[in-house]
Amino acid sequence: MTNKIKEYRARFNLTQDDLAKMVNVRRETIVFLEKNKYNPSLKLAYDLAKVFKISIEDLFFFED
Amino acid sequence: MKRTILVFAISFLILLSVVMWFYSSGQYYSATDAIQFGIILLLVVFAMFIGYKRLKSAKRGEPVEDELSKKILLRTASTSYYISLYIWVFILFIKDRISYDTEELIGYGILGMALSFAICWLLFNFRGIRHD
Repeated sequence: MTNKIKEYRARFNLTQDDLAKMVNVRRETIVFLEKNKYNPSLKLAYDLAKVFKISIEDLFFFED
Repeated sequence: MKRTILVFAISFLILLSVVMWFYSSGQYYSATDAIQFGIILLLVVFAMFIGYKRLKSAKRGEPVEDELSKKILLRTASTSYYISLYIWVFILFIKDRISYDTEELIGYGILGMALSFAICWLLFNFRGIRHD
């Protein structure tokens, strides 16, 4: 599973620290997510999508 | 924060007991003593590193534990448990073939368990958990 967190974070002019605080996780979790080294829980995926005002499907997607 | 203080307190106690053990064992230190001391020191450094990370997160205003750190800890615990079973089977296998005391072998087993935990944690912490 890949995501567009880095892209949207840049679009919203947020730092990794800012985003981490907004979704109540550690900065390392955002780093891992951006590097596709971790698949988030449904709650975290929902919170992230809510920050960027998009749907989960627009933020996370499967690649064959 | 309580758990962070606990991590530092336990590390300090381990270090203190190792120093006391070294002083009480007299002037003669064998190579195996040095290896054991080195491994314990490594584990204490590892515990301090975890404590420092938690402290840093608390200072930044981030949660000390989140879903990723909990998942890493869970995966580390399960993997190191699996490895430690093999460590004990190996110790049981070599028990009659070497001249070590039972206490020493138990000590090595416990050190092996702690070391496997530290290695697994470092591995998952840097490699990440992709397919969960």
